[in-house]
Amino acid sequence: MHIVDGALSMPVVAAGTALAVVGLGIGLKRMPTDRIPAAGVLSATFFVASLVHVPIGPSSVHLILNGLAGLVLGWAAFPALFVGLLLQAVFFGFGGITVLGVNTLNIALPAVIVGYLCRPGIQAGSPAVAAIWGAAGGALAIALTTLMVGIALAASGEEFIPAAKLVFFAHIPVMAIEAALTGAAVLLARRVKPELFASPATAG
Amino acid sequence: MQKIAAILVLALSLGWSAPALAHKVVAGAYASGDAIEGEIGFSDGEPAKNVLVEVFGEDGTRLGEVRTKEDGTFVFEPKAAVTHIFRADLGAGHVAEIRVEASELPASLAKGTPPDSAPPAAAEPAPPADSVAMTAAQRAVVAELIRNEIRPLRREVIAYREKNDLQSILGGIGYIVGLFGLWFFLAARRRTRAG
Repeated sequence: MHIVDGALSMPVVAAGTALAVVGLGIGLKRMPTDRIPAAGVLSATFFVASLVHVPIGPSSVHLILNGLAGLVLGWAAFPALFVGLLLQAVFFGFGGITVLGVNTLNIALPAVIVGYLCRPGIQAGSPAVAAIWGAAGGALAIALTTLMVGIALAASGEEFIPAAKLVFFAHIPVMAIEAALTGAAVLLARRVKPELFASPATAG
Repeated sequence: MQKIAAILVLALSLGWSAPALAHKVVAGAYASGDAIEGEIGFSDGEPAKNVLVEVFGEDGTRLGEVRTKEDGTFVFEPKAAVTHIFRADLGAGHVAEIRVEASELPASLAKGTPPDSAPPAAAEPAPPADSVAMTAAQRAVVAELIRNEIRPLRREVIAYREKNDLQSILGGIGYIVGLFGLWFFLAARRRTRAG
């Protein structure tokens, strides 16, 4: 999921960085003050989640949990996930510094999209319905991320269909795991702290 | 929030107990006799099988190519005493790049002499009567033995370089707490001033 330095062409890196900066700006602006600690916790969760690897066949993939971040944070997922990615690149060499913008965009934009699509479902309805929306959001965020990685690779010269397929199919188990995790997290949060999913976009 | 904390603890404990890490490319190369020997694989221990490794000089000139074997290793015979850059595209955004500096090249090349005029370290079936040739052959055998002995050590060093310990994980979390604390502080100060 983390694209490394040198895998992408220069225009893709530049475009990704520019868009990520825009996202970061919106995220920092729209963030209500009392949501900052939540952003920090989700950033730390994301930072650690990528160390949990799930062995699949010959290879393995790791959790991302960007769906959960998007549901709780909305646009603020950009700064939260950016910080996580930056530290992963510095500490563990996951991804790289030059492709940080592209990686942020690939992971945070799906989070924002999921936030917009699934948050109404989580706010309304019973906790059970909210959990299903949460699970759908968790899986959708991964699917969108694989799609974006595929696009980024395709724009750099790799053929789109095989590249995207490879990334997508490798992450189907991750989608299932993240759907379960996000669903469970939403269910619990709805019971103990329902205001967590109040729309921060309108509050800020 | 409790759930998030629970996930965090779970993630931390899992990440700690699992030595191999997901999906990161691990690669290393070193001089071995007259050749450069290298290994490419994923951090979960899976070797990169039958992958094309392209070899470039520092200025981007192409020096050649090799393919990795089933166990992810490759052997490349350098022809020029320049820095070699080995590049392999493993697909899906995974690229391995290994630098072998000119000073780390096989001794026969580092001296600046062309490889054919250098004393052959590879054991040719030399006439056994010649004592000098015997010594060269013996030297080659000893060098080969030492290389074989050192190889697991080299691999361990490469693997160790990729190891993440609890300190860096906790350090990273500390950075996150600090950064978001700073952000919180700045936002709160702005709000107090505005209000």
